[in-house]
Amino acid sequence: MNENNPHNKKNLKDTLLSMIEAENVRPRSRMFFRGRECAIWALWFASVVVGALAVAISVFVVTHRQYGIYEATHENWFTFMVEVLPFIWVIVFGLMAFLASYNIKHTKRGYRYSIVTVLASSIVLSFAGGSALQFFGLGYSIDAILGDQMPMYMSQEKIEHQLWQQPAEGRLIGRQVAATVATSSVVVFQDTTGSRWRIEIQELLPADIQLLASGENVRLLGQTMNEQARVFHACGVFSWTMNREVTMQQMSEQRESFLGRVKEMAQRTEGSIADLEKDLFADATRIDEKTMPVCANIAAMRR
Amino acid sequence: MHSMRNRCFILLGFVPVFRYPQDMKLASPPDLNDEEIVAKTLVDKQFFGEIVDRYEAKLKRYVARLGVRNPEDQLDVLQDVFLKVYKNLNAFDSSLQFSSWIYRITHNEAISWYRKKNVRPEGHLIADSEELIGFLSAKEDTQDQDFDKTVNATEVNAALLKIEAKYREVIILRFFEHKEYDEISDILKIPVGSVGTLLHRGKKQLANELNSEAIRM
Repeated sequence: MNENNPHNKKNLKDTLLSMIEAENVRPRSRMFFRGRECAIWALWFASVVVGALAVAISVFVVTHRQYGIYEATHENWFTFMVEVLPFIWVIVFGLMAFLASYNIKHTKRGYRYSIVTVLASSIVLSFAGGSALQFFGLGYSIDAILGDQMPMYMSQEKIEHQLWQQPAEGRLIGRQVAATVATSSVVVFQDTTGSRWRIEIQELLPADIQLLASGENVRLLGQTMNEQARVFHACGVFSWTMNREVTMQQMSEQRESFLGRVKEMAQRTEGSIADLEKDLFADATRIDEKTMPVCANIAAMRR
Repeated sequence: MHSMRNRCFILLGFVPVFRYPQDMKLASPPDLNDEEIVAKTLVDKQFFGEIVDRYEAKLKRYVARLGVRNPEDQLDVLQDVFLKVYKNLNAFDSSLQFSSWIYRITHNEAISWYRKKNVRPEGHLIADSEELIGFLSAKEDTQDQDFDKTVNATEVNAALLKIEAKYREVIILRFFEHKEYDEISDILKIPVGSVGTLLHRGKKQLANELNSEAIRM
């Protein structure tokens, strides 16, 4: 052993006590360790809260998307689902669950629990918290606040507006502001950008007309007949449900109503084709595109 | 025995505060448990010497088993361990056993030592022949490996060095440091269930190593 080694001259205890005395080494304060433990638990709590918010917003997004009329806005179910799933919030939730588990594992006794238990408890807590928040309508509020405060953040309201304020693609969002002289065929409608439209309502069902006449914000499905003159042919009216609770039953009813409408349009089309064929053989000069119902030809109905 | 000065103080009604000079041996408190010594150390640092006395030999052996073979290195590691223990005395959770806590610090310091020195724990004897015989004849609930009792200490040591570190650490604590499952859980900061799993797998890997050695021979 090296002769110069101080351990050789004194035993370990004496060396340590001398060192503690000479360097005035003191135990770190209890507050330091308590503070650290509290910080870890605070981080855990924050992770669970953010995770719960992510769940609340995800639940809100998932339960408020228009599964019943996805053909109205998307080519197929797959493209619809790609847009529906709140990926960003799912990623946030995953990160928060990981962070919460990491924090628990680093508490004094966290190592005693298996990673599965810790992860499961964080996920369950976030889900419970998220469901409670969504129960009180906070999912919508948080999403809307984030959308208002952050221009980059696409809240569900912004996405829905973007999807439905597309006159060129046959979708409008807004409310009826006035009836015309020919109330049974045309009404005045103001979209969310403030533009006024003449809406042709001849092909609407009575229930649609009633909904439109309520003056509440609604979504119109149809076809723009003249963009310059702002003439829109309405084929369906759907309520604007972004800011209120929608049950699965209501969504199912909306789906049935939409499918019923499509069938009716198809029957009308078949009838029109038969009439056209009769006309064709009777008088070829009478063939006119306008004799075909507009709604039967719009993309959403064809899908 | 009270000194003359202390006797005078007592006669005057003062109770003298007893100080332990550096060179005076601290009256050994064998009736005090580790946790009580820790509490006393926080009031008077001289009590820390008792902790060093109690654990120096055990931890030196443990550090050696973890792969710090050189006696000077062992002392360096132990010095760091005890200083860390002293600085972090307030972090000691009295719901744990003090021995588990100090073993945990030692384990972490030994691992840090390898990393600092950039070396692997090898070429050391984990246990002597007597301990190995005890290990080979130990019957654990989870044990289903039967070892050939004729294997010698060198072979077992060599095999122990070949198995994965996570298994070796648990085997060392269980069979050579004679720690209970919950103590190993506290030392290695893993769930108690994982201790059983690691032990089971470790013994299996060790048996494979010993059998492959036997085949080679």
